[in-house]
Amino acid sequence: MDELTFIQSEILPAFWKGLKVSIQLIVPSALLGLGIGIAVGSLRVYGNRLVAAMTDGYVVLFRGVPLVVQLFIWYFGLPYFGVYLSPVAASIVGFSLCSGAYHSEYIRGALLSIKRGQMLAAQALGFSKLQMVVSVILPQALRRALPGCGNEIIYLIKYSSLAYMITCIELTGEAKILASHTFRYTEVFFMVGVFYLILVSIASWGLHLLEDRLTLPGFEHHRT
Amino acid sequence: MPEEPILRIENIKKAFGQRDVLKGVPLSISRGELKVLIGPSGAGKSTLLQCINFLVTPEAGEIWLEGHRINHHRKRELYAYRQQVGMIFQDFNLFDHLTAVDNIRIALLRVRGMSKQEADARAMAELERVGLSGHAHHYPAQLSGGQKQRVSIARALAMDPKVMLLDEPTSALDPELIGEVLAVIRDLVANGMTMIMATHQIGFSRALADEIIFMVDGLVLEQGTPERIFSDAVCDRAREFCAKITELYGESL
Repeated sequence: MDELTFIQSEILPAFWKGLKVSIQLIVPSALLGLGIGIAVGSLRVYGNRLVAAMTDGYVVLFRGVPLVVQLFIWYFGLPYFGVYLSPVAASIVGFSLCSGAYHSEYIRGALLSIKRGQMLAAQALGFSKLQMVVSVILPQALRRALPGCGNEIIYLIKYSSLAYMITCIELTGEAKILASHTFRYTEVFFMVGVFYLILVSIASWGLHLLEDRLTLPGFEHHRT
Repeated sequence: MPEEPILRIENIKKAFGQRDVLKGVPLSISRGELKVLIGPSGAGKSTLLQCINFLVTPEAGEIWLEGHRINHHRKRELYAYRQQVGMIFQDFNLFDHLTAVDNIRIALLRVRGMSKQEADARAMAELERVGLSGHAHHYPAQLSGGQKQRVSIARALAMDPKVMLLDEPTSALDPELIGEVLAVIRDLVANGMTMIMATHQIGFSRALADEIIFMVDGLVLEQGTPERIFSDAVCDRAREFCAKITELYGESL
């Protein structure tokens, strides 16, 4: 069949190239974004008033401005100040900061859900605030935040496609170029959908494994 | 023989919003003594205990440990002070994400800075002391109430505190589990641990306390030896309270 040959000979090689760039964007952004989210979420809950206000401000800004506009600022805007980021670097910076703001909300919710007694017991033993958050509260809160943060990572996999708007040609970028050249929009975009679906499915499966790995007796699983 | 009290508290005041919970409470305790706080709910017994290790910051009042005044505004001094004052909670407050032995180890590792081997050895020894070495690798969700409270006592003891504060340690337990926890507390008394305990366990207090402190509405109404308070209290409110709880709890030892 004509479509299948087309798919095999033209789509797959182009997509393979784009996929490698996508992975290059997604993996660092997911890790950095989660790290930023944990730090910012913790500061918003446990920091002093000034720190909490600043981190709240960061979240308001990065959730309020559309991601595309943020990416434009990093790639097209920074050169006005003499800072030149490559398309890949600008994308990673944009994605990390944006997803960090969303992660921090999930983390903040999870931190607030931990019983107050855990904090009291840690303080009574002489833990400093930092030690308490790191050794007692976060290990429990991260397990609670995992479904939400996993959700955000899955969302990141899909919004990484915006990188092509700042000339970083990843999977969606390759698709757009190929479709424009060949006018075979249906086949191309159908396959892009399939690729992203596979990516997201792999990520979901990985997150599910992680959730199972981290379960503790009595900690939330109510499966009988 | 008047000995310098190991812990001395003066004029603790605490208000939550408009409500005055503690209206100026003094307390002093010498090494090896057991003082028991009794009184109706809302008297401020828990709040007083939480003020003693500054889990709750009092509006007024001073605390001296071994003659040295504690300045709770200095973080380092506060954390060092808290290591020397152990606390047992009514709800146990074990760290849910850690096994029994890890619950004990974590403070030794992170706060005391012990090496892994030292912390391991000490934690297992403390678990042994409360009779739970078989449950070392169980999580709090897998332990009974009495076992959880015993682990929390082991966790506090591992820090070698000078004073232990016990906030109604058996109030959340099934009656048949209270005995095992009281047995551990009795051992602590026998080994000379200085303790301040809020409880409704009258039989236990009568037998082991050096002094009973009766609190109502944020003030100490009366204090004295168990014999005096339970049989011949001076103020009416104390008599009334003692009569009611003796009737309710009887001679449980």
